[in-house]
Amino acid sequence: MRARGGRGFLLPGLLFLFAIDVVPLIYSAWLSLYDWWLLRPSSIRFIGLGNYLRLATDPELRRAVVVTGLFTAGAVVLEFLVGLGLALLFSQPFRFLRPLRVVLLLPLFVVPVVGATMWRVIFHPDMGPLNYYLNLFGLGRPPWLSDPTLALVSITLVDAWRTIPFMFLVMYAGIEVLPAELFEAAAVDGASRWQAFRHITVPLLSYIMLVAVLIRGMDAFRELDIIYVLTGGGPGTATQTIQMLSYRVFGLGHMGLANALGIITLGLVAVLCYLLMRAILRPERSGGAA
Amino acid sequence: MKTIHRGSSGARRRAGLALVLTLVVAASLVAGGTAWAQGKTITLSMLAGFKEDVLRANLPEFEKKTGIKVQIDAAPIGDLYKKQVLSLSSAARYDAVFMDEPWIAPLSEFLLPLTERARGYDTSDFVPTALAAGAFQGIQYALPVDPNMQLLIYRKDLFDQKGMKPPTTWDELLAAAKAFTDPAKEQYGIAVTASSDIQTCLYMLVSMWSQGAELVTADGKGGVNTPAGRKGAEIFLELLKFAPTNVRSYTFPDVNKAIQTGQAAMAIQWASGAKPMEDPTRSQVAGKLGYTLVPKAVRQTPMRGVWTIGIPKNSPNQDAAWEFAKWFSSKEFGLAATKFPSASSAIHSPRVSVLQDPGTKASLPYVEALLASLRVAKERPRLREFADIQEHFRITTGKLTAGELTLDAALKEIDAGTNRILGK
Repeated sequence: MRARGGRGFLLPGLLFLFAIDVVPLIYSAWLSLYDWWLLRPSSIRFIGLGNYLRLATDPELRRAVVVTGLFTAGAVVLEFLVGLGLALLFSQPFRFLRPLRVVLLLPLFVVPVVGATMWRVIFHPDMGPLNYYLNLFGLGRPPWLSDPTLALVSITLVDAWRTIPFMFLVMYAGIEVLPAELFEAAAVDGASRWQAFRHITVPLLSYIMLVAVLIRGMDAFRELDIIYVLTGGGPGTATQTIQMLSYRVFGLGHMGLANALGIITLGLVAVLCYLLMRAILRPERSGGAA
Repeated sequence: MKTIHRGSSGARRRAGLALVLTLVVAASLVAGGTAWAQGKTITLSMLAGFKEDVLRANLPEFEKKTGIKVQIDAAPIGDLYKKQVLSLSSAARYDAVFMDEPWIAPLSEFLLPLTERARGYDTSDFVPTALAAGAFQGIQYALPVDPNMQLLIYRKDLFDQKGMKPPTTWDELLAAAKAFTDPAKEQYGIAVTASSDIQTCLYMLVSMWSQGAELVTADGKGGVNTPAGRKGAEIFLELLKFAPTNVRSYTFPDVNKAIQTGQAAMAIQWASGAKPMEDPTRSQVAGKLGYTLVPKAVRQTPMRGVWTIGIPKNSPNQDAAWEFAKWFSSKEFGLAATKFPSASSAIHSPRVSVLQDPGTKASLPYVEALLASLRVAKERPRLREFADIQEHFRITTGKLTAGELTLDAALKEIDAGTNRILGK
C-alpha cells in the first residue's frame, strides 16, 4: 500500500515530463509523415514514410552524416584528451596553477555566437591576427575557413576552445574526490605514476568520463551556432552537418522534411549514446575495471 | 420675440460649437496626420543594419506626419526570409514586410494584392523595372523602396595610366583583369566572391545570362547545363585566377574591402556596396572610381535586386501599413535616404526624379550607371519555388568553387536540382 501510494507522487512529474518531452516528440514524428511546405498551406498531405525514403537516397544527407561524424569524433576526442590532461595537471600541488583555473574556464562564459564571431575575425585570411603572425614567421596565410579540410579542422578547434573547460571541470572534480589512500597504497607497493593512473585513476573515473563524453558527444552532434557563424556549412558542403542541413530545410519552410531530419538526428544520437555506453561500460561488466 | 431670441441664441451656440469642432478636426488633420491613424501602431519586418539605420533616422518624420507609430522587428539578411516565411504562414505578426524581390513570388500567398490601391496612387515616377519588381503574375504585391543593381566598378586612375577603356564585354574584362594582376605586389585584377556565399552564384549567373543561358527556361526546366551556361561558368572561373588569393572565403564586405584598400582594380558588386568605397574616411580610392554596366556577351543582363515593401493579408492595420508603404517608397524618403551618411551600404530610390536629382549624383557618384542598369535590368525567375532553387544553386556553386565538383558535374547538379524542385 505504502509503495503504491509513493508511486502516486511520481505522477505529476511524469505528466510534466510527458507534456514537455514526449508530446512534442510525437508531434514532430507525426509531422515528419506529411508533405507540408509553409508556402503552400492549402496543400498539406499525408505521405507516410515519403520524407524518410527521399532522405535515404539523398547524397546531401549522406555527406552531412559523414561530416557530423568527423566533427563529433574529432571534437570529442580532442576535448576529452586535453580536458583530462589539464585536469591531471591542475590536480598536482602547484600553487601557481590555482589562479589559472579561473582563466581556463572563461570560454565557458562567452556566448557561442560571440565567440564564433571573434574566431571568424581571428581566422580572416587577410586581416586576421592568426595569419598575420603566421605570415611573419614565413608560414603564409592559410585559408582557414575556405579550404574544405581546414574549415572542418577550424570549426573543430573552435568547438574545442569553447568546451575543453567543461571537460576539464568535470574531470577535475572527479579527480579531486578520488580516495588518496589508494594512491598511497599503490606507491607503497611500488606502482609507477603511469600504473597508478592506468589502474586506479582511469577505472575510478570511468563513469565520470562516460558522462562527460556522452554530454559532449550529444552536444557536438547537434552543434549549429559555431558552424553557422564560421562557415555557414561551406565551403561547398565541407562543414554542413545534419543540423546545418536541417536548419536550411526548415528555413525554406519544408516542415515535414525538416522534422524527418530531426527524427533521424534523434535516432543517430540514441545509437551514438548506446555505443558509447557499451564501449565504456564493457570492462565494468566483465569485472576488468574493478 | 423671446422664443425667436432663444432660438437664435441656441442656433448661434450650435453654429459656434460646430465651428470649433470643425477647427479642431481640421487642426488635428493638418498638425497630426489623418484622424483614423492617430494612435495606430504597425509592426514592420525589416532588414537589420544600414537600411534599418536610415529608416530609423527618418521615421520620426513619418510618425509626426501621420500619427502612425512603426515598431521595427529587424533581422539580418541570412535570417530575414526564414523569419518572414514562418511569421506570415503562422500568425498575424507583421503589418508590413520589407522584402528582397525574389521573395515576392514565394510569399505572394500571404501578401495583400496592392493592385487596386496602386491604381489611385501615382506610380509614374517609378523606374518601370523597379515597380515590376513588386509584381508577380500581373498582381502588384509590393512597392519598390530600394533598387540595387550589380555594377562593374573600376579604378579610373589605373585605367587612365594604362590608356585603357573600361571593359564592356567579358573578354575585355578578362584581359583587363589579367593586365592589372601582379601577385608579387599583392595587386589583383578583380574582386568577386567565390565562397559559399549567395553572391558567388549570382556572379556566375550574370555571366551565364549574358551568354544566353537561363537558370530556369521558359518551359520551367533547368537551363545552365548548356553551351551558353558552360561558357558563362568558365568565364567566371577564369576570372578567379585574377582575384585575390583568398577570394574563396570572400563575402560581400570583402569585395568592398579589396577595392577600398586598393588591392583590386575592378569589382562586380551591388551598387549599395559602392557608397562606402567613395567615403574618404574608409576608402583609399575615394574619387578614383568609375562605374559602368556589367559586361555583356550575346546580351546585356545586369541583375536586379529591388528591396520592396508589402502588406500581409492577415494584417489588421492594412490602411496604416499602406500609408507607411507609400511614404517608404516616396520621393521624400528617397531624397533623405540617398543623402544619409554611408557606413557599410546605401539605400537608393526607385524614383526617376530622385535618381536624376543633382543632389543624389553628388552623394551617389554611381547613380547614372545604376539608373542605366536598372532600365535594362534582368530579373531572377519569378517562381514560388525560387528560394529553393537559388539555395540549391548557391550550395552547388560553392561545391564547384571549393573543388568538390567538376564544372560538368556542377552544371548537371544545378539543373537536376532545379528540375527536382519544379517537379520536372
